[in-house]
Amino acid sequence: MRILVVGGCTGGTIVANNLARRLSAEIRARKVRITMLSASDKHMYQPGLLYVAFGQMTPDALYRDQASLLEESINFHVDPAATFDLDNKRVTTQSGKVHEYDILVMATGSRIVPETIPGLAEGAESFYTEAGAVKLFKKLREIQEGTVAVVVGVPHKCPIAPVEFIFGLHDYFKARGIRDKIKIKYHYPIGRIHTIKEVAIWAKHEFDRMGIEYETLFNVGEVDVENQVVKSEEGTETKYDLLVAIPPHRGMEVIEQNSLGEGGWIPTDRFKLTMTGHDDVYVLGDTTNLPVSKTGSAAHFEAEVVAENIASIIKIGVPVREYDGKVYCFIETGHDSATYAMFNYQNPPDLKSPSKPMHWFKMAYNQMYWTSVRGLL
Amino acid sequence: MTTQTQIPLDAMSTEDLQRLVEVAQLVTAARDAMSDEIVTRMAGAMSEGITLLDRLTRNEGLMHLLKVLDRQETQNLLIAVSDAVHSASQEISAAPPAIGGLGCMMRVVRDPGVLEGIRLMSIIGKHMSHSLREQHSRGG
Repeated sequence: MRILVVGGCTGGTIVANNLARRLSAEIRARKVRITMLSASDKHMYQPGLLYVAFGQMTPDALYRDQASLLEESINFHVDPAATFDLDNKRVTTQSGKVHEYDILVMATGSRIVPETIPGLAEGAESFYTEAGAVKLFKKLREIQEGTVAVVVGVPHKCPIAPVEFIFGLHDYFKARGIRDKIKIKYHYPIGRIHTIKEVAIWAKHEFDRMGIEYETLFNVGEVDVENQVVKSEEGTETKYDLLVAIPPHRGMEVIEQNSLGEGGWIPTDRFKLTMTGHDDVYVLGDTTNLPVSKTGSAAHFEAEVVAENIASIIKIGVPVREYDGKVYCFIETGHDSATYAMFNYQNPPDLKSPSKPMHWFKMAYNQMYWTSVRGLL
Repeated sequence: MTTQTQIPLDAMSTEDLQRLVEVAQLVTAARDAMSDEIVTRMAGAMSEGITLLDRLTRNEGLMHLLKVLDRQETQNLLIAVSDAVHSASQEISAAPPAIGGLGCMMRVVRDPGVLEGIRLMSIIGKHMSHSLREQHSRGG
């Protein structure tokens, strides 16, 4: 049985390690072979970029060698997939190597596409890349007064990130003693301040308490870089001194190029996590078109289901579990408090009051992540 | 259905309340003493510790070694090795530097203790070769 995992970020790494553990006897007996294809030999802890943007972490703390996170029995290649021939169960890599498979796991992730909005790439800062997060921190250090505008593109990874960033901004400027000289204005594309109703109700109260201005139904249409104005598709505009964007995302180009899913998102069965029409292809993490958050947490819970089902198919011939849509998101509510949102397909989140121990739990998780991707937590 | 047991405040003695206050003070003190850096360092160490423990417990060779070490005769051997290392370190520090040559070598090999040591090493070598051959034949 040849299992091919395409993608070496959170979902791909957890699924590969989990499978290597569950199928260790079969791998030793050479009945199972696990191969991983990745675009990089490094693994980045992406949620850490938010801390880099506020100077709470340095970029080097976000990386580990991918090979060091994988079980010895996994055949790891830094050679990203280029073409998919699902009918003949073959994947060709950028180097031209052909990998045949019996089971394919797609965990290719997503990418930011600020260039799809005129002026956004040139006029707005963002913390979704290492360089962007460092540049944003330097800009935040420089600003002494004026308006910091935050705009949100759709769809985007980590739905909690916009409100977390706002809470972080408030605390950052307060700590510098210039909060009264900085106007923070938040813009959100739908009719409330967050896509999750419960988060919207809770965050609105917090924003009011912190003196954060907000404008809903603001879909970013264009950024006039020269005049420092961000304009919405709805016809409103905000003048800014510093513009920070949660950029819109798309699935990876290779998915679109191979016509596997519109926008780079692969049509996926919400319970089985298989690609529509292909029971031998599993999809997880940002790559799916599921109505759940595009977060490492969703990828983690999906990876556990996928690994358990692949292992049980190999051992007893049938899958044993279904994904219930579980997502668990930490929400940093400033520099020293946090809460969390846990929800699934059936149950909306029930937010608890922010606390310092929850913030420490998040800080601890930032370290425990490496244990988590190794398949231990 | 659950039932809740409530202890009325007046049923608690002053000592009980004092103890509760002390526990609360302890928790508050620990909370105040903590910082993000402490939590990060502790979690980092725990993360690496769990990974190391996982590696050790899933290492077949190490687990086999631990099983062998549990046997009394292996422990006797370990005690003998540690005693030998200790005695050798004392003896070597007091002995004059070796002058080399055939005569010196002859004196060493005439020593019954040295011959015993060589015999032990050759027996270990014999069994090790046997075990390695067996593992290879099983495809290990």
